[in-house]
Amino acid sequence: MNSSMNFPASIDTSAGTTSNSGDAGAVLAREAGVPFQPQSGTMSGVDPFAQWLSLMEVVQMLCPVWPVRDRPMQGEHWQL
Amino acid sequence: MPNLAEQISEALSMFVRNDTEPALIGGLAVVAHQVVRATQDVDFLLEAEAADRVHDALLDLGYQCLYRSEDAANYVRAAEGLDLLYAHRPLARRLLAQASERETPMGRMRIISVEGLIGFKLQGFVNDATRTRDLDDIRALLKVHRTSLNMDELNEYFALFDKPELLNELLDELPS
Repeated sequence: MNSSMNFPASIDTSAGTTSNSGDAGAVLAREAGVPFQPQSGTMSGVDPFAQWLSLMEVVQMLCPVWPVRDRPMQGEHWQL
Repeated sequence: MPNLAEQISEALSMFVRNDTEPALIGGLAVVAHQVVRATQDVDFLLEAEAADRVHDALLDLGYQCLYRSEDAANYVRAAEGLDLLYAHRPLARRLLAQASERETPMGRMRIISVEGLIGFKLQGFVNDATRTRDLDDIRALLKVHRTSLNMDELNEYFALFDKPELLNELLDELPS
């Protein structure tokens, strides 16, 4: 999808995780205990935030004004 | 129309300037954990000690505080909302400390674990049973992460809210 949202120049909508190499050697190295960051993308390998930005681009075209959360987060069961 | 990406980037920069590293929670954290759905909820878990200075910083950015307690705060700026939960109990502090850092299109941010996110979603649902979106998010997260979830941790959260049977019901709903 062509991204026409007004992202700042510093925003890279294709950004993903910091380490994703997938060759067999890397897998063996990981199993040997080398620190690595687990893949955070979806099963398709696309960063979920990039997918969300694309989705919201369409959503905003269809529904230009979303209501702000209409009531505060109140309650009596704050355990965390 | 507000630019969500710019709003989040601005918030992340503000957190850095105020020397605090909150963790993303709420609907956007659900997205981060591979359940991509439409949401404009910008929610962060913030160390309670940073509440005052972040409050001042948000007011400086033009937000209006709609509500604030020792547990949570809600801010709005025109059509943009930003909510904070304050980590002041041991469990939330642990979850905040264990949040993982990720590079995103909006900048580097910390994201709460999927188990912790389910815990907060459960808390939201228990506090307001009309928030069925929270229950739907829990269902979706369980479905996507069923094979990798720390079940002991999940059991801890559901027991904390006196809902141990609910976790079993949700798990039973999952397709085998």
